Order: sequence, then structure tokens, then C-alpha cells
Amino acid sequence: MDIDDILASVDHGPGASSESAALDHQLLTRFWVAERAVSEVLPWPAPLMERIMDRVRIQIETIEDLAASSESALPTTANTHNPNLNLRLSILQTDLSRTQYIVRSLLRARLAKITKHSMHYLVLLASRNKNPLASQTQSTASSQNPNQQPEDSVPDISALTDVSPLSEPESTFLHAHQTLLAGHYAGSFMGAFPRQLRRLDDNAGGTSMIQGPELKEVVFVRCLGAEVPVVVGGEDEEGDETGVTMRMGDVWVVRWEGVKGAWGRGEVELL
Amino acid sequence: MAFPLPRGITASEIAFLAEMETVTIVPRQRLEGLELLGGPVEPLVPPRRASLPLWLALLLKRQRRANIIPPTWLHPEPLALILEFESQHQDYKNAFSPPPPCPFTPDGNRYYVAPPFLPQNTAQTVTSSRDPPSLPFHWVEVGNMLLEVASDDLVDPDQIRRLLKDLREVRMAKMRSGVDVLDAAATGGGGVALTGVGSMELGEERGFITGVVDGLRKIGSSKEQARREQMAEQRANGGYDGTQDNDEEEDYMEF
Repeated sequence: MDIDDILASVDHGPGASSESAALDHQLLTRFWVAERAVSEVLPWPAPLMERIMDRVRIQIETIEDLAASSESALPTTANTHNPNLNLRLSILQTDLSRTQYIVRSLLRARLAKITKHSMHYLVLLASRNKNPLASQTQSTASSQNPNQQPEDSVPDISALTDVSPLSEPESTFLHAHQTLLAGHYAGSFMGAFPRQLRRLDDNAGGTSMIQGPELKEVVFVRCLGAEVPVVVGGEDEEGDETGVTMRMGDVWVVRWEGVKGAWGRGEVELL
Repeated sequence: MAFPLPRGITASEIAFLAEMETVTIVPRQRLEGLELLGGPVEPLVPPRRASLPLWLALLLKRQRRANIIPPTWLHPEPLALILEFESQHQDYKNAFSPPPPCPFTPDGNRYYVAPPFLPQNTAQTVTSSRDPPSLPFHWVEVGNMLLEVASDDLVDPDQIRRLLKDLREVRMAKMRSGVDVLDAAATGGGGVALTGVGSMELGEERGFITGVVDGLRKIGSSKEQARREQMAEQRANGGYDGTQDNDEEEDYMEF
């Protein structure tokens, strides 16, 4: 996760300075715009979000203290002591709501993507399971099971430690959501199917039933690095075949898969 | 439904982003410095100028606690110049006028500041007077918000309003006429340059452009698959010299 490298390069002591507050705010804003712009779930920036939430908590306490002090003092003395108290309070509250809005919108956008492609992310997480034997025996056992249920095709991810790109609560939610959904399917219509057709991750006939996000969709990016080439066919494919080159400050319409790597390195920004 | 909004930020979210731009104000009253989540705010001491986020400047302006100094570009003369440039200049018949120069300096941190966090809307911008005026990324939003709330701080607001409208129409026509080149964005590794475009203009055309490009991609997907297989074959034979599809990559247009 490269966004963390960027953050780690800036010193963050326990008493995070105000300069880092501004930087974190910019990173949060940029991450929010990116999350809203692409079709897949982006890697969860855990350290950044922890710092942001810590600051939000502290800010709420500050506002409560200020509000309490304005109420406890007599109205006349409060006015003479600090005529700007109400103004300061309203500014602080506006600032707080703006940050809370971004965080809320970010989380909801992620939840929407997770629920839309829930099976895809479950299989993605489960495929990273370090013990392939266990999953194999599980799948053979379930295929012989005469009482095959849709719930059985939901991979168990509770033992996983690395849940990237999701956060811990998101992965828990994902599993609970998909288990409920599979149970509902079983109860409403899938229970009536022949048992070999009850799996939710069926890929018979070469067509996978699991739908993932479309990585070939176009996005709007601004190039921040000096020169960034657009990669053909994503980074993980063999061969470093590149297409057009973007220069610093340019705005382009390109495929997301072509600039995903550059985004991870912080060389492009999504618009 | 966890989240009803479509992919890509919407117009109100773009306006929300634009409110993070920094503007210059002249405070009319004192206010001690504040530690906001978006960064610290300097103490306000009249009549010293101060730089604040736009949302805070608008809040103070609405309560008549400050005057906003209009950004360098938001005056009739620079806007008229840009409009003339956009509509008359031969080289920019299909292109937007260039954006403000990027002050990005890769400093090893690998973090590049970008709008709305660049000082593109302050009164004393870093650009010297020799540089031609240019429209910042959030020009539509900042211009409209300042016209709405702080029109008494602007020079000749009616003229500015007219010029902004003209600019928008000229640029919108360019955006529409550029649809022909969108095919380039539908191929793998290709793209269409929109350098100089504004944030709100992007937001308006986002649905249309992504829709068209995705449609073109689906139509051309079998052709692309065939081409990729052919190239993989050529590479396996060791004879791919990369000349045959050069003209295909050239047909993008900076517009």
C-alpha cells in the first residue's frame, strides 16, 4: 500500500502536528474522490483512517468543552469575555461535519461496492488462504454432501489475517452479509433446485457465476508524475506493454486498469 | 441500498470540493487562530489579509465579518483575454486554454499537491504578471459561489457573470465536438487528453463520456482480443517490431 509509504515519509508523532492534519485532510479528500470514481474497492488506508478518526474524536471533545463553558458562564460575562465564542463554535462544527461527511460517504461507497460484488471479494480473500489443502478437502466434502446448500459455497474467511483491500469490520460484514443472502436464496428458491446447481460460485461450462468489478471502465485522471505511461491490460499481465504517455498536469480519460499501478504509486490522481 | 449515488463524484460533491480552495480575505474583526481538521487557520487581525478555505471565507462573508478579495483570474480583463484565446486562437480550436502552471515539485516525498489544495484562487497568486491568465480547475464553482455571495467584492460583477457564461458555452461546445476521438480511450493503453478542463465540466460530461467509451469498448472487445492474441503470437515468434499500430495510437487529439 503505497499511500502508507507516503504517509510514513512524513513524521507522525503521537501529538500529530497541525501540518500533518492538513496533509491527512488532503489525502482523505483525494482517497474519497478516488473511491467514488472507480468500480472496485481500493485498498483500505488503515493508518490514515485511524489518525483521522482520532482527530475527529478529539475535535468533538473540544467542541463539547467549548459549548459547556459557554453555557456555564453567565450570558453577560460570556459576551464580554469572548464575543467570538459562538462564531468559533459554528466554524468548528462546520469543519467537523465536513470531515464526517467525507468519511461517511467513503464508507458507504465502499459498502455499496462490497455488497454488489460480495462473492467476488469473498473468493478473492479466500484464495489467499495459505492452506490450500483445507479448502480442497472442504470443497470435495461439500460436493459429496447430499444436502448441498447455497451457504456451503460461501468461503469461510474468519481465519484470515490479511483482508486487503478490505478493513477488518468490512470483511466481517461481507461474510455475514453473504451468509444471510445465501440463506435467503436457499429458503426462497434455491432449495428447490437439483443439488448440483445450488452453488453460488458455479463455473460450469466455463462461465463463472461470480461477477467482479469491471476494471476496463474508463476514469478521469490527472497526471502528477513527470511522465506516466498508460499500461495495456493491467500490471499483472506479462510484458510491460505501454500505450500513450501522460505528462505532468495533463488530464486524461483512460482505462482504470491502465493507470492502477501509477495510482498506487501516487503518480496520478483520480478526478 | 448502501449508497444510491452513481460512480464518480456528483455536481454537489464537486462544489463541496471546490469549497476547499483557498481564497484571500480581509477580515473585519479579530478572531484567534483555530485548529481545524482540515488544517490550522491563521489568526484574523484586521486589516491584514489572510488565506482561508473558501467555505470559511463564505461563512464569514455571509455574516459580514470579512471581505473576499477576488482571485487574480476573476476580473473582467483576464476573463475577456481567456475568452478571446478560447474562441479566436487557431491552435485552440479544439483544445481548452492551458491550465495554470503546475508548481508540483517532486521533493522525494512522492506526494504531489493538486487542486483544490493549490493556491490558484488567492489574490496574490504565484504567477507573475508576464504569464497569461488561466482558468483554475474549479473555476465554474468558485466563480459562481463568489458571484452569489460576494458580488459586492468583485469588480463589475455583471460583466464577470456574462464572461463566465460565454466561456462556459465556448468550452462546452469544444467538449461536445471532441466526441469523435473518444474511440481512442476505448482501446487498451489508449486515452483521450482533456488537459485544461474544469472540474464541473468533467462532472457534467462524465456520464456521457464513460457511457460512450464503455459502449465502444464492448463493441471492440472481440477485435481487441484478436489483436492481443496476434501480438502475443508475433512476440512468441520474436518478430514484433511495434510499427504496425503506431498510427492507431496517434489519432488521439488534445482537446
